[in-house]
Amino acid sequence: MSRLDALKTRIKEALPGLECVIGWQKGYDALHNTPLFIRGEADVDKLEWGALNVHNPAVYLPSFAGKKVGVVVKGCDSRSVVELLQEKLIDRDNVVIFSAGCDGVVDIAKVRAKLAAAGLSAGNAEKVTVDGKTVTVTAAGKAVSMPLAEVAADKCLRCQFPNAVLADAFVGDPAPQVQAAPAADADLAALDAMSVPERMAFWRYHMDRCIRCYACRNACPMCVCRDHCIAQSREPHWLSQEDSVTEKLMFQVVHAMHLAGRCTECGECQRACPMDIPVLALKKHLNRTIHDLFNYQAGVDVAAIPPLLQFKLEEDNIKERSW
Amino acid sequence: MRIGVFVCHCGSNIEGTVDTATVAKASLDFPEVVYATDTMYACSEPGQDGIIQAIKDKNLTGVVVASCTPRMHEPTFRRAVERAGLNRFMFEMANIREHVSWIGRDREANTNKSVDLVRIAVEKLRRDAPLIPSKFSVNKRVMVIGGGVAGIQAALDCADGGLEVVLVERESSIGGKMAKLDKTFPTVDCSSCILGPKMVDVAQHPNITLHAYSEVDSIGGYVGNFQVQVKKRATYVDWELCTGCGACMEKCPSKKNPDAFNEKIGPCTSINIPFPQAIPKKAVIDPTTCRQFVKGKCGVCAKVCPTGAIKYDMTDEIVTEDVGAIVAATGYDLFDISKVTEYGGGRYPDVITGLQYERLLSASGPTGGHIKRPSDGKEPKNIVFIQCVGSRDKSLDRPYCSGFCCMYTAKQTILTKDHIPDSQSYVFYMDIRSPGKMYDEFTRRAMEEYGARYIRGRVAMVYPKGDKMIVRGADTLAGTQVEIEADLVVLAAGAEAAKGAPQLAEKLRISYDKYGFFMESHPKLKPVETNTAGVYLAGSCQGPKDIPQSVGQGSAAAAKVLALFSKDMLESDPQISRVDIKRCVGCGKCIMTCPFKAIKEVEFRGQKKAEVIETVCQGCGICTSTCPQGAIQLSHFTDNQILAEVNALCQS
Repeated sequence: MSRLDALKTRIKEALPGLECVIGWQKGYDALHNTPLFIRGEADVDKLEWGALNVHNPAVYLPSFAGKKVGVVVKGCDSRSVVELLQEKLIDRDNVVIFSAGCDGVVDIAKVRAKLAAAGLSAGNAEKVTVDGKTVTVTAAGKAVSMPLAEVAADKCLRCQFPNAVLADAFVGDPAPQVQAAPAADADLAALDAMSVPERMAFWRYHMDRCIRCYACRNACPMCVCRDHCIAQSREPHWLSQEDSVTEKLMFQVVHAMHLAGRCTECGECQRACPMDIPVLALKKHLNRTIHDLFNYQAGVDVAAIPPLLQFKLEEDNIKERSW
Repeated sequence: MRIGVFVCHCGSNIEGTVDTATVAKASLDFPEVVYATDTMYACSEPGQDGIIQAIKDKNLTGVVVASCTPRMHEPTFRRAVERAGLNRFMFEMANIREHVSWIGRDREANTNKSVDLVRIAVEKLRRDAPLIPSKFSVNKRVMVIGGGVAGIQAALDCADGGLEVVLVERESSIGGKMAKLDKTFPTVDCSSCILGPKMVDVAQHPNITLHAYSEVDSIGGYVGNFQVQVKKRATYVDWELCTGCGACMEKCPSKKNPDAFNEKIGPCTSINIPFPQAIPKKAVIDPTTCRQFVKGKCGVCAKVCPTGAIKYDMTDEIVTEDVGAIVAATGYDLFDISKVTEYGGGRYPDVITGLQYERLLSASGPTGGHIKRPSDGKEPKNIVFIQCVGSRDKSLDRPYCSGFCCMYTAKQTILTKDHIPDSQSYVFYMDIRSPGKMYDEFTRRAMEEYGARYIRGRVAMVYPKGDKMIVRGADTLAGTQVEIEADLVVLAAGAEAAKGAPQLAEKLRISYDKYGFFMESHPKLKPVETNTAGVYLAGSCQGPKDIPQSVGQGSAAAAKVLALFSKDMLESDPQISRVDIKRCVGCGKCIMTCPFKAIKEVEFRGQKKAEVIETVCQGCGICTSTCPQGAIQLSHFTDNQILAEVNALCQS
């Protein structure tokens, strides 16, 4: 039985006790899968599993607070579920986690580039098949094959969690580990290599494109303030609505600070950005700092308390006192 | 809003390097400032009257005073604006003395910076809201932590003042370091003869509850309503039944344990009463040496105890004491002399501390008051005293003077001559510090009448030769090397913070310095207060002190407690966090990070919300920086106020 069929079987079994099960379905074109909310047995067959399941369905969980729901997750998505559980934003008894091994998802922008190189437009994609390590896209009647490794999302190339860290129903064989230890992060390495003025110029250049649509925030599974986001408040008035790079960058800094030690690096903020601004780097930088300082990684242990969500007189790695 | 700005000269303290008239004139350009002037001493009576008059004449609704640190005079000016009919929180202070005039000489730059600081204060004041403190009742019981002479004095004075007192002592008897001393300077009267009656008073005072052999486990609450968990350590002896007869000590077969009360220069039994005048005079079993505990069989004390008080299965017990104020009087410990390896302390038995020497001098000590050196029990003839061991020594991270060592060393030379008339004492010293009443006369008497030879210089090394200790050092006045064959070397070990003092300070939420001594609220004007309301200091826990100073501080702390308790109701500080229930998403991050457990989760129309417990909140602001949507704000220090201050500085 395929992973998809096994998932469907398990979801059908559990569905009577659940408000809904969140997963993916075929989207508006062959290249895109979109979120699916399974409320009845008929919906189950719409479920998709594979390299086009780019969304992180954990983002919807807090809005179901108080109701019992299921969620289908990739390994990376499961970390967001765990982090939400750690922060008690969702209740373990009210969430059923379905999962299977993940071989990586595509980065649509990379697919688009490959198609463009072959003289094709992604808008004309008719059919997409993923066969093991190869993605084949048919557009305007012409099939273009590309290795998954070349069009996979950056996070997949460094993936440490191809299998869910927490699942109630894990089907099929676990996916193999991409590599033993994460490779150096190219985005951070590039930023590290810049001087401070260069880095500032980098961010001013990119943030200038920002249209303040807040797609980055809305796609973020850890952004739970929603209607009360500080970006749109006058009391307190941290940001104005002024269309300046300073205000735009300030929002990204606020967002990154709010995610320090919480971000599971699912990359949804950057994927959702319509202006292709590399906003994930800010969060990755803070996560690296948190990891160095607290030896902590978000969303891997339900019992762990995130380091910035607790008060400790003395941190293990911050020696303020001699005794 | 109608704002008045008052720029203080502070005599020449500020005016010397700041053009206050220009600062006042510039302030008139700031929004909503309708009046500005410079004033000679804003805190003086005419200065305060000027502020009050201006509030009335100009219909001011808010006041900025640009002067010194708010640590000193913010309460003064708040009272002044309140006298003029304003809410006391419609006031801001700009610190142009510590932050400006005292740290820079450039008059023009200082004036410009002062203008900036006033602008910041005005912008904050424009966003101030009147705050009304709420009132709460006071539990008029006081806890004194530490039963040395300072704590005893504080406990007795509070109890005599009619307060219920809980005295917590870590050892099995009160008395502290003073109980270990033989005689006291400068009168050379017997230490236990003057301390003993006070200890008995503690035991007999109807208002004092004594928890000996106990430690403070945790402290919750706030001024007027502290809850202190006291851990009563297991003594394995039922003190209700123990009569202190000492039969158990006579029969205890484990007799060779180092006696902590005798500074480990004598042995004691595993079941022990530390000294004859102990209060309470009750036995305690040391389970680390007791055969019943170590080998699982013995039971001799249980057999001989006439009242059946021995309870081998006793466990630690936690009792909760509700008190309204706490006096910390935890004293000091001695510097570890083995850290000065060149003197051989800890390696050679005949190199001892001054406190060990006290025990040798004391009639209740291990030698019955005869000076016998630890190695072979011989009476020493040549005794060398070395001062400042672990004091005034930067290389040991002990740069401070321990204060009392010069005096007790002089006393010990006098006592030595009394005990052994044909002895000779030598004292290596850096300076002689004897500024107290009758103190300098006392040290001179040691030299002139008792023949102690004072040698100004440091000792380089002490090493054994035969049964002697060779002390080699410099005589800097004669400019020569000296070498003395000593029978006994006494090191005047410096005082350091009591073990566990920083940990206790954090439980008390008071500050401590890098050496672990507790910080007073003001080094001159608030020597026994701390920056935590309701917590006071007495004795050496604040810094090394001799007996008269410690007793004085004990009484001073008691006076502060009695003054605090003279009111039935106290006002809570309204500068605390408040939750905007509309913005709160109930994520609970504030609850997780609050160090004081001052935020609780509540249900509001079926939704989770955070709520601040007013009296518990200390206004630290951690929750406000944690809350991602800014729903929790610290009154008087809101995000918008801080942003306005930053904008005032950066956009000017």
